[in-house]
Amino acid sequence: MPRRYGYFFLAPVVLFLGAVIVLPLAHAFWTSLHRVRGLSTTFVGLANYVRALTDDAFWHSLGVSVVFTASSVALHLVLGLALALLLDQLRFARTAMRIAFLTPWMVAPAVGATIWLWLLEPQFGVVNWLLRAVHVVNAPVAWLGEPGTALGAVIGVDVWRGVPFVMLLMLAGLQTIPAEQYEAAAMDGAGAWQRFRHVTWPNLRYLTVVATTLDVINTIRHYDIIGVMTAGGPAGATETLPVLLYNTAFRANRFGDAAAVGVLLLLVVLAFAAVYVKVARLDRIERT
Amino acid sequence: MKRPRRAGQAILWVVALVALAVTLFPFYWMLNTSLKPTAEVFASPPTFVSAHWSFDAYASLLRSRPVARYFANSLIVALGSTMLSVLLAALAAYGVTRFFPRGATPFVLFLLFTKMLPETLLIIPYFQLMSDLGLLNTYWALILAYSSFALPFSVWMLIGFFRSIPRELDEAAHIDGAGVLQTFFRVILPLARPGLVAVALFTFLIAWNSYVWALVLTTDASMFVMSVGIANMVGEYRVQWNELMAAAVIAAVPVMALYALLERHLVNAITAGAVKG
Repeated sequence: MPRRYGYFFLAPVVLFLGAVIVLPLAHAFWTSLHRVRGLSTTFVGLANYVRALTDDAFWHSLGVSVVFTASSVALHLVLGLALALLLDQLRFARTAMRIAFLTPWMVAPAVGATIWLWLLEPQFGVVNWLLRAVHVVNAPVAWLGEPGTALGAVIGVDVWRGVPFVMLLMLAGLQTIPAEQYEAAAMDGAGAWQRFRHVTWPNLRYLTVVATTLDVINTIRHYDIIGVMTAGGPAGATETLPVLLYNTAFRANRFGDAAAVGVLLLLVVLAFAAVYVKVARLDRIERT
Repeated sequence: MKRPRRAGQAILWVVALVALAVTLFPFYWMLNTSLKPTAEVFASPPTFVSAHWSFDAYASLLRSRPVARYFANSLIVALGSTMLSVLLAALAAYGVTRFFPRGATPFVLFLLFTKMLPETLLIIPYFQLMSDLGLLNTYWALILAYSSFALPFSVWMLIGFFRSIPRELDEAAHIDGAGVLQTFFRVILPLARPGLVAVALFTFLIAWNSYVWALVLTTDASMFVMSVGIANMVGEYRVQWNELMAAAVIAAVPVMALYALLERHLVNAITAGAVKG
């Protein structure tokens, strides 16, 4: 079939992505070079970037982002892998269990966060009641009211939401490991730990890198949970870069500054994206 | 893997069920609270099971707030995004695999790039553009945005699907006198149905669960989607937790049910990309 038909099939998606992704992206760069005040827009060069990079709020926010992302991703991976190994060992009802464990990931993060707001409510929340019943704490804790616990709480909710996805990837990975490798290991007298160390883990290593990179990219951009639970507070304790970006643009109405923060965030994400593309491709070459 | 018998299985099941109980407890508490009368919501100690469970909170929620409207808005936006995104993705994936097979990799890399953009960065210009075009508080603003989120993954997935459909089928249809479009809609799409279902589910899930775009792009309460309507109730001076949890049930349960039924399609699709590379 002639090639010109090909353009006909591709044109809609190219036009669409151009209008909905590329044009807004270009516009964001443009905005980041301007000061936007209501209807007046003045070109200010790199002033917004300079202001962001010399502002403590930006560096504080970057720090919060790093803590939030590193903790969430590490816990997603450890718990996700543990759950996958566990489910993979069950003799029956594995699909039903997988569906059940996947539930937190299927519900809107904003809705999940709302449920957690009620669980963590200081006076009447069930979490404080349970913790007091077993004497872990003596007085009700204002989880989202204190800087220290607030960051921990939003990380906890993100872990709850994010573990199932890693579990899903790892389960799929476990199913691709050939049974012969385990049989060979068993013949050599390998125990459970040795089987994990020498068969399971080497087979999952590539998938772990892919899952980590994807998860970092998704977590560092995440807004919804923090937006609903704390909006960045108290005193900026949970103000990750996306939250700073949102607050700067839509609460303080400083679009130029917000766009500059966004471009800086994009650079961080792209660094991880580059790693991802590299890793994903290396594997393709190895296997051919 | 070799699976342990008897005693080993019993221990594994205990651990698995405890983990499951922790994972699902928030949903139990959502349901439990939504069924309580207002007075009991603030009881101490809290009641885990109640003799006074009823749907009163649902009734008063539906009376006091346009939740049915929020639900309809979510549904319209999610279905609209799904239709648009699946159509665009199918066209693009077919076009690439059949006409530009060597362009597939750069195309997919470009799509991956768009998937990695921080959404809060794109919201700013998107909000400005929609505002200039007078599209704030319309379904279109949300449908266009949500379609674009799911599109990269959908195209990527469908490229794999269309590759597995032999090109001889296209040629046979062509020889039988079918035009390019006819071949695409009548011959290829029906064969790609499992892939289309997976992509549709994925898009629907993204659109239904999205929050921050709708938060920015809708200011008129009659245009709120479920997630925004619910988060909006949180900000109120005196939160009616049983009504709020009832709203959460209405937002969450239909999707949970749908996905429990169709989980296999979705799981296959999502894991295929990451596991196969």
